[in-house]
Amino acid sequence: MSIRETSCTVLSNKAVADGIFEMELSTDRVDDILGGQFVNIKLPTSDTLLRRPFCLCDFDERRKSFTICYAVVGKGTETLSHVKTGEVLKATLPLGNGWDPRGKYSKIMLVGGGMGSAVLPAVARRSEGVDCVCYLGFADKSKAVLEDRLRSLCSEVVVATDNGSYGRKGFVTDVAKEDIIKSGVEAVFCCGPEVMYKALKRALADVDIPVYISLEQRMGCGIGACLVCNCMIERDGKQGYYRVCKDGPVFKLSEVVL
Amino acid sequence: MNLKVNIAGVEFKNPIITASGTFGFGKEYSQFYPLSALGGICTKGLTLNPKLGNPPPRIAETRSGIINSVGLQNPGIDHYLAEDDVRLAKEDVVVIANVAGACLEDYIAMGEKINESKAQMVELNISCPNVKAGGMAFGILPESVERVTRAVKDVCKKPVITKLSPNVSCIADNARAAEAGGADGISLINTLSAMAINYKTRRPILYNNHGGLSGACVKPVALKMVWDCFNAVKIPIIGMGGVQSYTDVLEFMICGARAVQVGTYNFTEPMGAYNIVKDLEEYVKAQDMDVNDLVGSLIVNG
Repeated sequence: MSIRETSCTVLSNKAVADGIFEMELSTDRVDDILGGQFVNIKLPTSDTLLRRPFCLCDFDERRKSFTICYAVVGKGTETLSHVKTGEVLKATLPLGNGWDPRGKYSKIMLVGGGMGSAVLPAVARRSEGVDCVCYLGFADKSKAVLEDRLRSLCSEVVVATDNGSYGRKGFVTDVAKEDIIKSGVEAVFCCGPEVMYKALKRALADVDIPVYISLEQRMGCGIGACLVCNCMIERDGKQGYYRVCKDGPVFKLSEVVL
Repeated sequence: MNLKVNIAGVEFKNPIITASGTFGFGKEYSQFYPLSALGGICTKGLTLNPKLGNPPPRIAETRSGIINSVGLQNPGIDHYLAEDDVRLAKEDVVVIANVAGACLEDYIAMGEKINESKAQMVELNISCPNVKAGGMAFGILPESVERVTRAVKDVCKKPVITKLSPNVSCIADNARAAEAGGADGISLINTLSAMAINYKTRRPILYNNHGGLSGACVKPVALKMVWDCFNAVKIPIIGMGGVQSYTDVLEFMICGARAVQVGTYNFTEPMGAYNIVKDLEEYVKAQDMDVNDLVGSLIVNG
């Protein structure tokens, strides 16, 4: 499995919720994609030098395409939201280590917080033979995305909103933590803000279930050369900086110094 | 036509070198193209002991540029010598070991260590703070540029390139100081001291508060400084700062650079340095020229 620089045609780019877009791009790299990996996309502007990393939200083997799901939060995503179908974007993929539960677990739980949920469909799709249950948390109904996509991939999807405007009321980690123990899952994959990881670490301190999380950091090259996207990891009793883009973005929660 | 250049007796098959800190030790980019396509590779900055570097965020984007504050994270010279040095020696490409220190003794020790390396040249990063001189960077005052260059030259058997900082009152004076210290060449410019802030939080974006600016936006500053140094010294110059195309390379050479480093562009375009070599080759072939004829050929007005 190697990374490569490719040209991807935009197949669609549409708003799916308040300020949130889904973009589907063609690729010849579908077979190489693992859940949790990302793509580094060159924007069609000379204002921003750096590429923008997006998690590979989902992929379609028949259509030979992948999807990214992004919220418009800055100049880069603003530019991206105006890209039209048929435009060609340069992209390097698939990047990062990803996570492969196949052959290791029979039942796993996927937990997503806000835009962190965008990692989950690809993880679920690359979990053939593994029963996936999914818990999604959003600030409110207007920000809820990817539920339908995940329903087609998971045996159960539970949605929670902070204000109760949709699904169960409360933080998704609170909703999920009871069920993690009850439902007999063998591993948890979680993606969301750091505060969620802290909550999960506390909630599962006494539970012997491996929890994997996907980290995020400002990146430079995206391929492990520039050392700007560092995170503190403790392995074998020793703390050190690891590269989010190359050694991650998926790490074991127990190893991450939060 | 000729693309070969010679710096201090070391022959480069073309004048394109990847800049320190933007290319690791070549491993990641070798997934994209054969490293032998390049004229040279400048390693990630090495120090005597492993260095953890700064906490994140270490990068901020600005208009046509980036600001970084990695803080010299590296595995240390011994680790380099045991692993990357051996691997890089198998590649048909000139390797320049970039070294840094926190005091003069560090640089001397590094100069000696590099004698064991298979790297053909050494590049001195003198933009680091001198902990024994109140933290002022070695590269600021001409006398300290001369002192650190001479100290390494006294112990190191390989050609020494002193990498100049642009954050000084007169870069030509520092170029002359490097030459007086015995440098076999100079390279410039290192990054420009800079800051990026978030107006909402009123905080700097970088954990380190400030960092070094690089990328397309610094090219005009770098060109002027290369020209100033070309008129100040006789030793060869390696130019860098915002190079993104073969025409940028031509401009640097016309201002006096014998070779050119490609840095930030490696982040934007993983194939960037390779494509520049190919484009330059095509141009030089079409013009049936020798790239060495470009060096310092700037025609100034008045």
